[in-house]
Amino acid sequence: MIEPRFSDIFGPELAERLRWFSALRWIAVAGLAVTSLAGPRVGLASVWPSLFVVSVLVAASNLAVLGALRRSERGEVPYANMRASAIAQMVMDLFALTVCVHFTGGLTSPLLPFYAFHMAIGTIMIKTSLMYGMASITSLGVLVLYLLEGGGVLPAHPLRADWPAEGWLPGGFNMAVMPIALFGIVYLTDSVTSRFKERSIELHQTSEQVRQRGAELARLLAEKEELERRKSHYMRISAHQLRSPLGTIKTSLQVLLDGYLDPGSERGRKLLAGAADRVGDLLLIVNDLLELAKMREGRSKAPWTRQVYINQVLADIFDAQEPFASERKVSLVPDIQGVAKLEWGVPPDLVYAFENLVHNAIKYSKPDGGTVTVSLRVADDVARVEVTDHGIGIPDDVVDTVFLEFVRAPNAKQHVREGTGLGLSIVDEAIRMHGGRVTVVSVEGEGSTFTVSLPLHFVPPEVARSGLVVEPTR
Amino acid sequence: MAGETVLLVDDDEVFQEAVAVVLGTRYRVVTASNGTEGLARVAQERPDVIILDVMMDHLSEGFDVAGRLRTDPETSSIPIIMLTGVDQVYNLRMEVDEAWVPCDRYLEKPISPQDLLDQVDELLTAAVR
Repeated sequence: MIEPRFSDIFGPELAERLRWFSALRWIAVAGLAVTSLAGPRVGLASVWPSLFVVSVLVAASNLAVLGALRRSERGEVPYANMRASAIAQMVMDLFALTVCVHFTGGLTSPLLPFYAFHMAIGTIMIKTSLMYGMASITSLGVLVLYLLEGGGVLPAHPLRADWPAEGWLPGGFNMAVMPIALFGIVYLTDSVTSRFKERSIELHQTSEQVRQRGAELARLLAEKEELERRKSHYMRISAHQLRSPLGTIKTSLQVLLDGYLDPGSERGRKLLAGAADRVGDLLLIVNDLLELAKMREGRSKAPWTRQVYINQVLADIFDAQEPFASERKVSLVPDIQGVAKLEWGVPPDLVYAFENLVHNAIKYSKPDGGTVTVSLRVADDVARVEVTDHGIGIPDDVVDTVFLEFVRAPNAKQHVREGTGLGLSIVDEAIRMHGGRVTVVSVEGEGSTFTVSLPLHFVPPEVARSGLVVEPTR
Repeated sequence: MAGETVLLVDDDEVFQEAVAVVLGTRYRVVTASNGTEGLARVAQERPDVIILDVMMDHLSEGFDVAGRLRTDPETSSIPIIMLTGVDQVYNLRMEVDEAWVPCDRYLEKPISPQDLLDQVDELLTAAVR
């Protein structure tokens, strides 16, 4: 899982807070303008035009902030810039406030509580450590103002012109409390909001996890549905393949039973023999279906064996297929280079797969014979076995589907009637189970090359899971 | 009516033989093992009834052959009996297109010999009228 970056979570939130803060700032602008205009009527002489100037400047900076926020909504402003802008605003606001404080009685100004206000908002928006810095600078700034006014460097502006200029003392109390209040507010605000920030990060992570799990579940569900669909298709096709010979058997027997033909006659016996042939076909299909089912269901029970030599498997197959090859006038040509040792393998299934490919290559060679070459190469920890014939080949429109159940090319059926169309499905299943792939390249009328790639270091999941180890017998 | 010729197109020679025995009791029987051969036989033999298996080399080869026979004015009037196990395909296509009738009858495998004879008889009688 990817850790969310702080900015991913708080970027949008910061923008939202800045917008809210900017709205509050309009209230401050209005307040300052009204105070400045109305102040002189109630004896607050020094607020005009000073506070009015401040309000105009604050309004101008607020417009700039809103412009920046609009750009950030379009994703043009990175998080770091937005944070810098938040800090800059805070500094400007505090400076503007200090100017206002100066013109409304210095350290006795009724505006002093607004410092606390800014500290709280700043702590919500910006990093707490930065706000402790801000509290220090503010305290220092106010101290400087207090000293300058008290020392007579800056003219003091009491709130009302007719009030006596304050001495050191009253402002001094405020000054003493100021840093404590500012740090205290930052600390309190932080201790409340940090929990929310943590929760917010947790929530974001959790919702991200939930989203990922959801996507994962949807993918699994789609996979399962596809599997179900294929299964039901497979069952329908299987049933149909069984039904076809059954239809012939039943019809033939009915013809004999209904007396259209004497079972004892030559033609009758021929029809019975034909029906028996179809029973043989049925048995072949049923056997292959069982083989396929065994391979698909019984993977976990498969006799996984350590160190299986493909060289040995191929040598055994050469011996076994040699009689069939010479019967078909086909010469079997081995072209073995290197040693292919699979870390894990199921020998009977590998034998089945390669024997099937070699047997097919001989079976679909042309009647006048030819050669079938079986080559083995080992490179990059992958064993590649190629079985090449110069037989009838596979038509273009079937070549992509030959590994599907019950697919038999029309030219294959004409060449050899017997065949269940399941052999290559079983080969495909056996090779996949070893983490490999089988592919075919073929030209109709010229021949086919079946290529099997097997990774040497494949560890079957069921072995990895169970830790089951079957020691090599040799 | 022994002179009529029935063409049977089916890729299973045992089934061919069984049906040939039954039909041979009344008609001349000609057989073909796939669609292409079937069309050639139609041209050669001018059969009076054609019996077509649906699933041969290709999944709906019989339908394709029937379609071609029906669109050719030379052969469009020859009655066709379709033999099929894939009755769903037929039904589905009938639902989609009611006008689509590439055959006159259809029989499911396995077939009853008597039923087959009755159907062929009916079609021939109707054709005579």
